[in-house]
Amino acid sequence: MLDLIGNFFGAMAEQTGLLHLWWGNIVMMVVGAAMIYLGVAKRYEPLLLIGIGFACIVSNVPDSVLIQPGGLFNYAYKGVGALILPPLVFFGVGAMTDFGPMIANPKLVLLGAAAHLGIFVALIGAKAIGFSINEAGAIGIIGGADGPMAIFMSVKLAPQLLPQISVAAYSYMALMPLIQPPVMRLLTTREERLIEMRQMRQVSRLEKMVFPVVIAIVVNLLLPPVAPLITMLALGNLFKEVLVVDRLAKTAANEVMNVTIITLTLAIGSTMEANHFLTFKTIEVLVLGLIAFMVGTGSGVVGAKIMNLFLREKINPLLGSAGIASVPIAARVAHIVALEENPQNFLIYHAMGPNLAGVFGTAISGGIMLALLVPVT
Amino acid sequence: MDVKVPDSNQGAIILSVIDFILSFGIISGIGFILALFPLLNRFWKVDEEALRRGEH
Repeated sequence: MLDLIGNFFGAMAEQTGLLHLWWGNIVMMVVGAAMIYLGVAKRYEPLLLIGIGFACIVSNVPDSVLIQPGGLFNYAYKGVGALILPPLVFFGVGAMTDFGPMIANPKLVLLGAAAHLGIFVALIGAKAIGFSINEAGAIGIIGGADGPMAIFMSVKLAPQLLPQISVAAYSYMALMPLIQPPVMRLLTTREERLIEMRQMRQVSRLEKMVFPVVIAIVVNLLLPPVAPLITMLALGNLFKEVLVVDRLAKTAANEVMNVTIITLTLAIGSTMEANHFLTFKTIEVLVLGLIAFMVGTGSGVVGAKIMNLFLREKINPLLGSAGIASVPIAARVAHIVALEENPQNFLIYHAMGPNLAGVFGTAISGGIMLALLVPVT
Repeated sequence: MDVKVPDSNQGAIILSVIDFILSFGIISGIGFILALFPLLNRFWKVDEEALRRGEH
């Protein structure tokens, strides 16, 4: 009788995850809790960190049904794997974005390419330390500071690195106000930081309506691998700019975006199982991602200084750092660093130009990579 | 012809150089197209108020 009861309790214990819990799970649960703390108490990207942190905690409960095939978080991951969610994020972003600053000053789009040197430094570095070329490409794209693009490239080139790449990309985007300013100050003089920009021209409604259509054509023509992302960005933006489908634009910017973010964050967090995440590769990816961000910031600033050699009307080199795609964080950082030197120097609108161009710069870099590498999916 | 970059350090450098240069080329092209946008205003004008009144 006692044996039977003991067997029953043994069977109960076996179907729970308690027997499979190891210290790695505890560490990752603490990481998840830290993410939630940063999101709630410090307001660091709460829309992302709370969902990722929560799913990270749950996915590190051993044998959690949510992350197994047929589980809820597993279905969320299928949306990432099927490359449905990242384009939907871009759809919402397009519906919230005013591309006027980019249209008003076309020469600043060059900074959206200059600031992506970090992608390639990280790519070469990753290959040199032993990653495959596909993995190196996916790691390099962290330097583009574009979360959906990083996820997109990771799924295409190195799905096994999705948790590390997405965590690195989103974490460093949130930490840009800490990462960028020292690099920006190191590479510029006070006189350069004090440069004031002339007020930009007004961009007409017609131009803003034509822009997404032109961009969709160009990207589908030249860069079909990344066309899903940019096409949805263009569609969301078109809904916003035509003014006659306001409810669709609002739905894209709010309900669609919110549902997509919830699903995306659960999907990312659900991949942060200790067995896959607590590896030396994770540290390597995080370090390479940081290098990519810092080099990208520097190359954008240097790019602006090189442009100034040819321009009569100089541009503030701080705008170069905004060429990193993290919209609008990078633009805001450039604005704040300029304000520190001169409280009357408002760079935010000018910085949005290269910042928005950076989104296309990252997409272009990624599209070329996908054309030259052999995607996994 | 399907030529892919080799999985080597050399391949990484080749990929990076080609990608960086091509990125500049494509984004310059986009910049050139944007520089032509003011011409649109010479030929057409959009009545924003009329659009807003007819919104759905």
